Amino acid sequence: MLMAIALLLVVLAFFGAPLFTIILAGALLGFYRNEVDLSVIAIELYRIASTPILLALPLFTFAGYLLAEGNTSKRLVKLTSAFIGWMPSGLAIVAFFTCAFFTAFTGASGVTIVALGALLYPALKQAGYQEKYSLGLVTTSGSLGLLLPPSLPLILFAIIAQQMGYGEQVGIKDLFVAGLLPAFLMLALLTGWSLWYNRNDPIPTESFSFTNIKTSVWAARWEIPLPIFVLGGIYGGFFAVSEAAAVTALYVLVMKVFLYKEIPLKSLPKIMRESMVMVGGILLILGVSLAFTNFLVDAEVPSKLFALIQNNIQSKIGFLLTLNIVLLVLGAILDIFAALVIMVPLILPVAMQYGIHPIHLGIIFLANMQIGYFTPPVGMNLFIASYRFNKSISELYQATIPFMLVLLVALLLITYIPELSLMFVSH
Amino acid sequence: MRKFIHVLHILEDTALVGILVSIIMLAVTQIALRNFQDSGIIWGDSLLRIMVLWIALIGAMVASRTDGHISIDLVSRYLPEKWQHRVQLLAYLFSALVCGITCYYSVVFVYYEFLDGNTAFAAVPAWVCQTIIPFAFAVMSLRFVISAIRHLQDRSPPPVDNPVC
Repeated sequence: MLMAIALLLVVLAFFGAPLFTIILAGALLGFYRNEVDLSVIAIELYRIASTPILLALPLFTFAGYLLAEGNTSKRLVKLTSAFIGWMPSGLAIVAFFTCAFFTAFTGASGVTIVALGALLYPALKQAGYQEKYSLGLVTTSGSLGLLLPPSLPLILFAIIAQQMGYGEQVGIKDLFVAGLLPAFLMLALLTGWSLWYNRNDPIPTESFSFTNIKTSVWAARWEIPLPIFVLGGIYGGFFAVSEAAAVTALYVLVMKVFLYKEIPLKSLPKIMRESMVMVGGILLILGVSLAFTNFLVDAEVPSKLFALIQNNIQSKIGFLLTLNIVLLVLGAILDIFAALVIMVPLILPVAMQYGIHPIHLGIIFLANMQIGYFTPPVGMNLFIASYRFNKSISELYQATIPFMLVLLVALLLITYIPELSLMFVSH
Repeated sequence: MRKFIHVLHILEDTALVGILVSIIMLAVTQIALRNFQDSGIIWGDSLLRIMVLWIALIGAMVASRTDGHISIDLVSRYLPEKWQHRVQLLAYLFSALVCGITCYYSVVFVYYEFLDGNTAFAAVPAWVCQTIIPFAFAVMSLRFVISAIRHLQDRSPPPVDNPVC
């Protein structure tokens, strides 16, 4: 009976019922079966109001929505090209770095492709890069930067882990540092590959000039302090993560509305509303999945799952390899927030039994999700890019595959060298 | 009815904007007070957390206006049109039912809290802060029912002005 209902829920999810209703129904059924008073569901939802770090979510999201409006993307590209545009394959490297930075702040919701890709794709082609290469570059770069602070999925992973009682090991600050080296590894490998790929094409390089640097720095003078706020503020001990989020939101608001005067005051309510609808969607799913997780733990599902997996896979490496494959597929079909709230509660306890550090798991998880965004046949960024650049999906498959292979190498390195993620983590 | 819906929309939108602005202001004030004066509003942090709950649930209410919730939806787009229609109707009715049940049990929870008489922050009772839970689920349940009815009448689906995913 229970299996039949569970199956029915999965079918309903595949048919497009909102995910929160599916998880909610699962939790309600679970509690009902265990003869727990169903009003416990409201108690679980009220936990949203007892989790201080959640404050960071609406604030960073709002800041990201603001950054996506106006000309921040243009100034960012100008600034980076002034510094590294003179190198061989300069513009490609510029593209990687600006996309990564932009995604860290705006979340990998397709905004990067729409805002930056639209700018970079014609520029790359004009500079003489092959069409296929340029297309692959902007599509894959749409999710690059997911591992860099203050990306929302990083924060969400930490929140879920903390709610499951792994708070000691998974501090947000630690997770933020843990993502740095893996993200730079990805950037480095992509850069190296681009240098090699374009080695025979005489791509005209921009010449280095101090005037260029001066004008672009001056143009981006209000944006440059942003990473300093976020990282410097947090690691300098001036603010907690949620406070850094508040300062960032206020700063970006003042910068966009009053300093750059790019967003008229009257369009602010619309941006606020849109960003908060997104936050509502994420937090509601998080709230109901916390309830569902409690039921899962009560029903000892993670330990049963571990026993089942251990019967088939004994080694840590074998487990990680299987995990990568499962997560890549999931990353392609599931929304990243949905994947986080559904999979982390199941996988985290199992991974811990295999002796994997929860922070390392978080980085592996998100690295997979990042690649999942453009994994054929259904990765979301493939569709966004196809729509935005008016190219067929099959053209995009071909264009992204080399980039995907490079990032898979990075993923393997991140998976099998835990030190990449854990080197700077305090405990 | 139409007027009521219009007023509700304005209220929701205003609440989202108002709460977000209050969150930013209060959070920044707290930081400033702590760093410069070594003080702070005692109940400020509790109020901030409750505002996060409210903004989340009101945001979720607004998302259900326009089919804006995160969903997986892998299969329905490949079904024949007639079946797509039926499946969508089923999804709406299912969502309405689940939200309705949650609304009922949230009312029970709020009532228990009312009897307990706990305070959330300052002199504000906890149950007042929690009323948003049943309210949000009631509104979402109603919206799913309305979407189902619209769907049955074969009117065009609600405009998607906020694609969440």
